Amino acid sequence: MDDVYRFALSLTRDPSDADDVVQETYLRAYRSWHTFAPGSDCRRWLFTICRNAFLRSLEREHPTVELDDVERDVIGAGEVYAAALEEGYTGLFARADVGPAIDRAVRELPEPFRTTLLLVDVQDQSYESAAAILGVPIGTIRSRLFRGRRLVQERLLEHARDLGLARRESPEARETP
Amino acid sequence: MSGSKIPPLPPECLEVLKHVWDYLDDQLTDETTARLRAHLDKCQQCFQYTSFQKNFLEAVGTLQLRPGASPELRDKVLGSLRQEGFAR
Repeated sequence: MDDVYRFALSLTRDPSDADDVVQETYLRAYRSWHTFAPGSDCRRWLFTICRNAFLRSLEREHPTVELDDVERDVIGAGEVYAAALEEGYTGLFARADVGPAIDRAVRELPEPFRTTLLLVDVQDQSYESAAAILGVPIGTIRSRLFRGRRLVQERLLEHARDLGLARRESPEARETP
Repeated sequence: MSGSKIPPLPPECLEVLKHVWDYLDDQLTDETTARLRAHLDKCQQCFQYTSFQKNFLEAVGTLQLRPGASPELRDKVLGSLRQEGFAR
């Protein structure tokens, strides 16, 4: 139930609402248990129900933004690295104290990027599984994921700048792959 | 992309830049994975860049260690299921 709760919380962003969605999820799962294929991925099945329960709990649909240029986000991540290299923050993601900033950056991600990133990068779902849970093509998962990652990295770099985190590495190399 | 900080790169390095996440997510063909891996073995800059992205994914992955459902929620869900006829 922990994973379902975390997923519900990622969708609702509110603990109380997440509780309601989890409760609804398990009720729906119980009522439709006969539809579960023995041997299949139960967690994936529950995530799908959870996501549907969340959508039904909304009075309006969340606006969604789709991408048409995955490469832009991949290159954008390269630019984040170039800036981190230039400013001496290449060890930023390996710092033990960056966790809260990552948590905040992920929570503040707009949909649909946040849910996709949480499913793949946090809940360890495959692209295929995330696509099935969210009802979108795998290519859409990939584009949402890459945009979400780039946005989180940009926020973390801003966080490092804001806090004036110590430049613990000297940027010897100035070029980027 | 306007204002890009990315300098012109050799084709092998550009391939790493474009496919680093596909590579780390194990989404590439065996052939492409082998080609990237061979390049990473000999290109320090691309190796460092890939390590940077790998550290990022590992850091994001630690978010799953956060607390899950509360005991109260478990009781609430179990209560609801029992009302539906669930017996255990």
